[in-house]
Amino acid sequence: MSVQAPAINNITHGTRRVLDRLTWMLVPAAPFLIVLLIWVMATGILHPSKETLPPVTDVISSIHELAVSGQLTTNVIASLYRLLLGSILGIVTGVIGGFIVGLNRKIAETLNPVVVFFNAISGIVWLPLMITWLGIGTALAVFLIWNTVFFIVFQNAALGVQLVPEVYEQGVRALGGSRWQTLRSVTLPGALPYILTGIRTGLGFGWRALIAAELVGAASGLGTMIFDAAEYHRSDIIVAGCLIIGAIAIAMDRWLLLPIERRTVQRWGLVVDAEKER
Amino acid sequence: MNLASAPHALAARPLPVQAGLAAAVRQLRGVKILFPFVVLIAIWWTIQATGNFADRVLVSPKRVFDTVVLLITHGVLAEYVSTSLKMIGIATVVSILLGVPIGFAVGANRYAARSLEGFLRFLQGVSGIAWLPLIIIWFGFTHTTTLAVVIYTLIVPIIFNTMVGARAIPEHYALALRSLGARRLRLITDVYLPGALPSIVVGLRLGMGYGWRALIAAEMLVRQGGLGDLIFGARTSGQIDRIIGGMIIIGTLYVLIDRLLVQPIENLTVARWGVLRK
Repeated sequence: MSVQAPAINNITHGTRRVLDRLTWMLVPAAPFLIVLLIWVMATGILHPSKETLPPVTDVISSIHELAVSGQLTTNVIASLYRLLLGSILGIVTGVIGGFIVGLNRKIAETLNPVVVFFNAISGIVWLPLMITWLGIGTALAVFLIWNTVFFIVFQNAALGVQLVPEVYEQGVRALGGSRWQTLRSVTLPGALPYILTGIRTGLGFGWRALIAAELVGAASGLGTMIFDAAEYHRSDIIVAGCLIIGAIAIAMDRWLLLPIERRTVQRWGLVVDAEKER
Repeated sequence: MNLASAPHALAARPLPVQAGLAAAVRQLRGVKILFPFVVLIAIWWTIQATGNFADRVLVSPKRVFDTVVLLITHGVLAEYVSTSLKMIGIATVVSILLGVPIGFAVGANRYAARSLEGFLRFLQGVSGIAWLPLIIIWFGFTHTTTLAVVIYTLIVPIIFNTMVGARAIPEHYALALRSLGARRLRLITDVYLPGALPSIVVGLRLGMGYGWRALIAAEMLVRQGGLGDLIFGARTSGQIDRIIGGMIIIGTLYVLIDRLLVQPIENLTVARWGVLRK
């Protein structure tokens, strides 16, 4: 990096740095390629039946088929719509609940055992009861997602509110801020990083709960798609579905939740060390 | 989960009063924990008594209680519970034995760590339950299928957190020990394991939360015993009392596992090695 280094040295140094950066960027693809290689080799050498392990080409062509026929779009939209509805409900109720409990020690103490218990049965455990009450369909899936997202956002919001140093709140109040102003300009930004972490984790959990719910409790959606495929032993569609489910989860996390989290964490400067690693 | 743990800790501090009074206080705390549940049951009972519900929709708390007692006395419940507990137990042990070494191996190299991070995130996005249809084709409707789903779900957070924990250990700790002549094994037992342990335990707790839900969901679909089978099987015959009773048992069991097993381990490691959780 020294200025007086010979030009030629500089170039090799530069290329090495570029190469290093390139490896660094490409390295996340390695495990996927290794799995792909093992998969191709396994189907090529062992020749398992298509039901047991479909060839890569079958999976690709079935993704293509699903995409062209419009089936994929319908199912993805059905799943995402439920996730959106359930998550919005879960986030709104979770944040409101978290603030009420976080600001009030007495309520927190009284409600804690109930929260612990219902958190333990959040999500999929409700499925049998809710099928009876709500029937198979969107309402069921939305309930399960709400139930899953709510508890995670709620607990994180409550924790975030409780962890805002009281001095800050007292400072604003001493300067004549009203209760509402204190909430809006101190407590909310203070708790926001926790709330966002909660939303991010909650959506991850919610996505899993949704797929599980759709396996039995829906007429459309990605979970239904793979479960129906199992009836006809179409492993290629199952694997295709799983790949799509994973891709959507990653895309959501990368391009939606992580940027939001980063921006707010940067803005309000409450950086948690573990978050930097991600 | 840490809601209001601070006030509880305060109350638990030994008071400089007579033992009798302390016992009374403890009893009062026990009542306080039960209080919100009593309110909930009262609400449930009122709704059930005032509305005119069919037995397939809602039954009284007493009916549920009777059913649970019946399940216990007939030994049926023990069967269902032991199946589920055995599954989560085996899955946890296998996941720790496999996941921790993998996590360390990957954590030792920054390229390996980076490459696996994205892959693990992808795996976490495709919940174990989404693979269930394919795994059923492989192993049929057996306990192996359930176990595969639960281990898949449990092992990812354990690998991930071991990796993060191993990477967070300052390098000079290991270097210092090495310069003092420590062997590799010594390095592992004295630096890496204790350094990463708090993070591993966090991963374990997270994994148990995911794994327990995956277990219930898998049991619902595999139908080879277990608590998921209990509540989902009751749905087909419209036995609401069994469903609600099963849910209460699932919740209580999970709270017990978390409080009596996982949390003490977490407290122990955090207290002993004094590393703060993230």
